[in-house]
Amino acid sequence: MKFDSQTYRVETDNQLGFKILIAGIAALLLSAIGYFTHSKQFFFSYLVAYTFWVSIGLGGLFFVMLSHLTGTVWGIVLRRIIESIMMALPVMAIFFIPLIFGFHDLYHWSHAEAVAEDPLLQSKAPYLNVPFFIIRTGIYFGIWYLLARKLYALSLQQDEQPTNEQIVKMRRVSGPGMVLFAVTTAFASFDWIMSLDAHWYSTIFGVYFFAGSFLGALSFLVIVSAWLHNKDILTGTITIEHYHDLGRLIFAFVIFWGYMAFSQFFLIWYANIPEETIWYQHRWTGSWNIISLFLVIGNFLIPFVLLMPRAIKRNRNKMFVLAIWILVTHWVDLFWLITPNLHHHGAHFSWMDLTLFVGMGGIFVSLFWKYLTKGALVPVKDPKLQESIQFSNA
Amino acid sequence: MLDNTPLVLGNETFSSITDHISSITERKAPKQWYLLLALASSLALVLFGMIGYLFWEGTGIWGIQNPVGWGWAIVNFVFWVGIGHAGTLISAILFLLRQKWRTSINRFAEAMTLFAVLAAGIFPAIHVGRVWVVYYMFPLPNQMQMWPNFRSPLLWDVFAVGTYFTVSLLFWFTGLVPDLATYRDRAKTKIKKMVFGILSLGWRGGNRQWKHYEMTYLLLAGLSTPLVLSVHSVVSTDFATSVIPGWHTTIFPPYFVAGAIFSGFAMVMTLAIIARKIYGLEHLITMKHLDNMNKIILLTGMIVGFSYGMEFFIAWYSGNPYEQFAFVNRAFGPYAWAYWIMVSCNVLIPQLFWSRKIRRSIPAMFIISIFVNIGMWFERFVIVVTSLSRDFLPSAWDYFTPTIYDIGMFIGSFGLFFTLFLLFVRFLPMISMSEVKGVLPQADPHYYDHEHDTRKGGQHV
Repeated sequence: MKFDSQTYRVETDNQLGFKILIAGIAALLLSAIGYFTHSKQFFFSYLVAYTFWVSIGLGGLFFVMLSHLTGTVWGIVLRRIIESIMMALPVMAIFFIPLIFGFHDLYHWSHAEAVAEDPLLQSKAPYLNVPFFIIRTGIYFGIWYLLARKLYALSLQQDEQPTNEQIVKMRRVSGPGMVLFAVTTAFASFDWIMSLDAHWYSTIFGVYFFAGSFLGALSFLVIVSAWLHNKDILTGTITIEHYHDLGRLIFAFVIFWGYMAFSQFFLIWYANIPEETIWYQHRWTGSWNIISLFLVIGNFLIPFVLLMPRAIKRNRNKMFVLAIWILVTHWVDLFWLITPNLHHHGAHFSWMDLTLFVGMGGIFVSLFWKYLTKGALVPVKDPKLQESIQFSNA
Repeated sequence: MLDNTPLVLGNETFSSITDHISSITERKAPKQWYLLLALASSLALVLFGMIGYLFWEGTGIWGIQNPVGWGWAIVNFVFWVGIGHAGTLISAILFLLRQKWRTSINRFAEAMTLFAVLAAGIFPAIHVGRVWVVYYMFPLPNQMQMWPNFRSPLLWDVFAVGTYFTVSLLFWFTGLVPDLATYRDRAKTKIKKMVFGILSLGWRGGNRQWKHYEMTYLLLAGLSTPLVLSVHSVVSTDFATSVIPGWHTTIFPPYFVAGAIFSGFAMVMTLAIIARKIYGLEHLITMKHLDNMNKIILLTGMIVGFSYGMEFFIAWYSGNPYEQFAFVNRAFGPYAWAYWIMVSCNVLIPQLFWSRKIRRSIPAMFIISIFVNIGMWFERFVIVVTSLSRDFLPSAWDYFTPTIYDIGMFIGSFGLFFTLFLLFVRFLPMISMSEVKGVLPQADPHYYDHEHDTRKGGQHV
């Protein structure tokens, strides 16, 4: 792999992307065995892996729109990487199709006989029914696809013939895009995750899911930049100053995640209404309590303390390790949201949790890599690129 | 749309900024100021008079009865605390986000915060009924071994609002120190010299002093940031920890915070437009500042709208008839008028800010900011009153009607707020001179390096 620091392009025969793709497909094929031996476990593991990688893509989409709306300067050097994360999102729609075959294993409300004897499910039937569920997912992905494609096309167009018009247009798309993003992400999380326990409800759930997603995307971004640096790519472009700011952003969203998690837990705990507390009761049964506590410590306290000092945020290797840690805890978060609906008596990890994570990840990362290496690694013609490179926290 | 206009317009220099802002307090106040002060202080008198009567007669003079035990007093409390959020947001969070445009609005936004929190604090204090034992709210050691209930969100409120007020005051005062020193140096009378001399804490503007000052400011900003989120989160728990449908919902903390910032910015906008007009500050509080604030109003308004939507959807989705009733009752029950005023003012009208033209039209933004102020008061009214007036016991249902004392005290609280604000404008620098100077092009250490450079100020990111 050769990097040209003039054009910001990497010359690659795409061996790497291909290898990742193959690894992903191999892992998926391996997981397919699990489908025949233990289909329920397969679909739950699948859903965890699926929501994990979709959430990374969603975080990317959010970050791109956020950058345009705030007119960020420091983030310009990172924009192409984030855009590539964003572009891997729409393709994940294909991987929703296998889930359709797992509806009966995943979603209690999809059984007609269960609905027949449950007045609560009957009252929700206009929303929670299979056709509408699939249509909704189609709509979410349709919106994400249109937004991502438009933003990406404008950004590439800027590389060719830069005018202010593209910047203006990217902002124009991002404004309403943000509104659509908020609504679709919230409802996607209701549909895919919250409706696993169809009796339970929480108004903050969508925001909670979003908080984790954005954290995931930021960590993914840190990992990618650190990895590129390791290969001597973009070393003079993404500087330690950018890591510092990314660290701050991660710090802020670690707190935001903690705030959302606490709001949800605390209000339900305090009001103590059985139909709400049961959800936390499930997550406190058997060894699930360890996972619950792990989330508090691992996804909040540890990064909160570690990201406080300036020195860690300004250290590439430490940020790299921390970002991997946050990705792991983000996965645990989704595991904790989803799997208690399968294993009621205690946490149980399956080999499929790993293989499906790797499989879906292989596809996602190879797509990401394909988009990233397609053109320049930074928006080369952005009028504020130089300013972004020279950005300093002073 | 790609706005590169500087943050300070006109050919301002360091000394002209000092002159301009100091002169506002040094010359005779404009006629409008006396007029406004007369009006505001009369209203404040109405407030205090009515509070006196309340002490004499009891809380029965308000419209509160069963089942609505929390009437306008609590609505006003939440309303004013909410207004008090913009100041710290501007001074702390925007500072940490390196938003330089905050410099010309932060000072009076912070002052507004303090006065709004003061106005807010009155209501729960008088709502206790027996004001002579209001100190029971504080965990004071006593021989009766009586302690407040630490599990009650009402007690957390006392701490949250108290902390918020203290830290905001410190932050505001720290920011004032260099400017107070300027006032001291410009003072003509002995008394002024003495007062400003004491207040400016021996500030000499030395290099080392500045270094310490900036570090203090940064630390205070960091410390106040969680407070911006915590205060209204705690206020939201007054409602959300209960089991009342319409109150108990998990999105309340962030939703209250967004609403607070929304209403706070609207109030800053209302005041800024008036102040810049009367005192000719158009080149310091520029269209760019107003535009940015309007964007934040739009954003927070959308978050509030998102929360309304979520509450409604989840109420239906829950399948819980009580939840469903609470929301149907809000939108179509006896208080539907209040609900739709809230939705129109908070969600629909701010949508106009999508248009750049409207974001940059003074009359339009003034009117919209007033609408938002109204809408946010109604939001609290809808939350407090609709859920209570039709509770679990239909035989107890009743319609809440405010009395003259409810209305008078609410209007009076505006009097108090504006009296304090007008006094502030009269005696203290309403725009931070030292910080505005910091965003002038001349403040760039390299400004004089290139004499013919066309660089513009205020664009350092």
